[in-house]
Amino acid sequence: MRGVTGARAPMTLEIRRRAFLRMLALGAAGVAVRAESAAAADTDSVTIAWPNDIPTWDPNQRFSPDSQPIFKMVFDQPISQDPQLRLVPHLMKSWELAPDALSMQVELRDDAVFHNGDSVTTEDFRYTFFERVKSGSRLDTANSWKKVQEIEIHSPTKATMRFSDATPTAPQWMAFLGSYVVPKKYLESVGVEGFVKKPVGSGPYRLVDYELNSRMIFERNDRYWGPKPKIARVTIQIVKDPSARIAAIQSGQVDLTVNVPVREALRFQQEAGFAGELNPMTRVVLLQVRNDLAFADDNVRLAAHHAIDKEALSKAFYGGAAVALSVPATPGTPGYLADFQFKHDPNRAKELLAKSGFGPDKPAKIGFASTNGQFPSDYDIARAIVQMWKRVGIEANLEVIEYGKYFELNRGSKLPEATLYSWENSTGDPEMFAGNLLNPKLPFSAWKDMAVGDKVVALMNVANYDRRIAGYKALNKFAVETGATIPLLQSVQTLVRKKGLTYTKYGNGWVLPQSMAWS
Amino acid sequence: MVATLLQLLARRLVVSIPILLLVCALLFAILRVLPVDIAAMSMPPTATIAEIEAKRREMGLDQPLPQQFLIWLEDAAHGRFGRSIQLRRDAGSLVADTLPATIELAVAAMVIATVLGLGGGLLLFHVRGTKLEIVGEVASTVLLSIPEFLWALFLLFIFGVALHLLPFTGRLPPEFVRPNVTGFLLLDTFLVWRPDMFWAAVKHMILPACALGLAFSPAIMRVLRSSLLDVYQEDFIAQLRLRGLSEGRILIGHALKNAILPTLTLMGVQFGFLFSGTLLVEVIYSYPGMGNLMVDAVRNADLPIIQAVGLTYCIVVLLITIVVDCLYLVLNPKLRAR
Repeated sequence: MRGVTGARAPMTLEIRRRAFLRMLALGAAGVAVRAESAAAADTDSVTIAWPNDIPTWDPNQRFSPDSQPIFKMVFDQPISQDPQLRLVPHLMKSWELAPDALSMQVELRDDAVFHNGDSVTTEDFRYTFFERVKSGSRLDTANSWKKVQEIEIHSPTKATMRFSDATPTAPQWMAFLGSYVVPKKYLESVGVEGFVKKPVGSGPYRLVDYELNSRMIFERNDRYWGPKPKIARVTIQIVKDPSARIAAIQSGQVDLTVNVPVREALRFQQEAGFAGELNPMTRVVLLQVRNDLAFADDNVRLAAHHAIDKEALSKAFYGGAAVALSVPATPGTPGYLADFQFKHDPNRAKELLAKSGFGPDKPAKIGFASTNGQFPSDYDIARAIVQMWKRVGIEANLEVIEYGKYFELNRGSKLPEATLYSWENSTGDPEMFAGNLLNPKLPFSAWKDMAVGDKVVALMNVANYDRRIAGYKALNKFAVETGATIPLLQSVQTLVRKKGLTYTKYGNGWVLPQSMAWS
Repeated sequence: MVATLLQLLARRLVVSIPILLLVCALLFAILRVLPVDIAAMSMPPTATIAEIEAKRREMGLDQPLPQQFLIWLEDAAHGRFGRSIQLRRDAGSLVADTLPATIELAVAAMVIATVLGLGGGLLLFHVRGTKLEIVGEVASTVLLSIPEFLWALFLLFIFGVALHLLPFTGRLPPEFVRPNVTGFLLLDTFLVWRPDMFWAAVKHMILPACALGLAFSPAIMRVLRSSLLDVYQEDFIAQLRLRGLSEGRILIGHALKNAILPTLTLMGVQFGFLFSGTLLVEVIYSYPGMGNLMVDAVRNADLPIIQAVGLTYCIVVLLITIVVDCLYLVLNPKLRAR
């Protein structure tokens, strides 16, 4: 029998070559329809490849910096920011913080309406910033507005916010994470579950379709009180994989994308029809440090800082576009100190370590944690720092942690001596930089020593703006000189767009479709 | 045959219960071993230790482990997996929302894998003993060694970027708003009678389905080929030739029927793997399925979702196994006779 199976049997179902080619041609014709969005440019619509989905459509519920541009399409904040990050009126026509910062008079616009036709009034304002935060719904805004004692309504447009303690940054917080006015009547009638399925805001766009982890479609709100967006329809495709985002823009299936690898953004600068951008933003990359364990020794902490060549990190991982930082604030923001520099000085690092009895032959041993993939090149930066430390006599045991674990570990005092961390502050205000990063009472700070902590807590209550900013500048310098923080770089947002698509650049990295237009 | 089929069905369903319980126990145990504080993670970062302890009590995490397991099991039986830590929504409803997209994709991929696998297997068998046999062997080995996510990237760059032939993000182009009737997009476009949307959805599905199908077809090819080689060793093939039947009729009408049974078993197993293979493919193609949800859940240690998705995968695989067993019974007269 083997002879039969081994030999090639005559085939009666023969596929003729000509027939095969005909089939192939038909098949090719069947699929030879170009991708829809790669077809003729539609100047009334934009498709954006965005790296993350939003956590929820309840804008008060979760603080998610990457979601802010999306929330700002559907919802309005009482106060907004201009491209230079100055506070500007938005739903609020005006506001006046009392000199003691214990109350704030607000006046809302009278022409703003929610997408369902209801007017935006002080009832909605009170509901958002007082009733909801006190209701025990576990909103993230419950923390930012916990000092609100009452909101007295004087009229549909006028109200007074009263705070339990001085709240000098109330206007900044009105423009920050989670502070979006939600419609009281609608939210109460449909409940949170109903609201997140069909969100209603007063923003320049209405959400018309949402598919978790895939896409969201927005249409222009023609009843918007503010400037009408030029783009009528915006599609945001959630494309989590950076290679797929590159492919999407390269193929013309999307018009703009962000958070691509730096080398790709640089490559697109050379591509005809595309613009690749590296935009510095108000996000700092820093080392959050502890004040105990091996870092209880000032010399070791300061040596760890002197050993890091930040310029080299910027060149290697951000194409040189990330500014090396000496304070936990970004250039152009109020708390930044342009004339203060903490030098990269490996010899000084060796001297400091020697004072404490350490050196390359007898290294100081520390733990070091980093995320992997939370922000561009995070783990690679951490590995480079380990090498820089090794050269001066610090041996770091690098471990990877999930971003979400940071708070849990910090709460249980289980963080290692240093943690590579990225901190976003779209307002640029120093309270949201050093005030949060170095406040031992908040979960963000790994530094628990009250010598720095008392200064931070005191600044939280300084009502006078100039005095407050001067205080934060002094604090920034003090914290760096004592080794309470190790700022590294100003983060960079990478963006690739079709050249014909323009948008307004914001200093905090917001990419707002309402500011886009086709040229 | 119906009685035999029902008997088999009943037997398989009974056997599935302890398997499901075992998987539940494993899932529960493994996730409890992970160094993750579920109570702390489900609270805002600013929560106090007292608030976290209160949450821990509310979630029943202060109870002994067997007690916790029983609570979890009872909740899971009612479809209650808790709220997603990351998305603050009911984990069960999130899985229910995303499951149809994954099923649709997996079925489309299985159709492609079956067509390619059977076609390729027949071709490999056809070229046996010729110079092309070694080419076929090498080609199928190469295909076998390429994982689905690599196929996903290859296809995306070739047909999406280089040739601009097919879309590769999401399930529909921007101009269409998705009808939401059953969650199965292809079916829904039919129910609302939108052939244009149906065709658009098909085009969006081609690349992810091909990526999965291509990754799983080589195994089918090779098993079919070796099964055919085995079948051609049987005496009845020679007898059929002596009766003057053409090679085509012998192959399609007789040999394939016998060779398909082991292939079918493999396809059942493959479908289970294929279902889990959707994880990375869905992320790459922005497909709104359960795999995409799971990848995020793992990244954020979102235990309620991990448990809900894990259990759903298990149920789907068990169901597939039962269907394959039934098909096997229908196609194999020897089993029916037992």
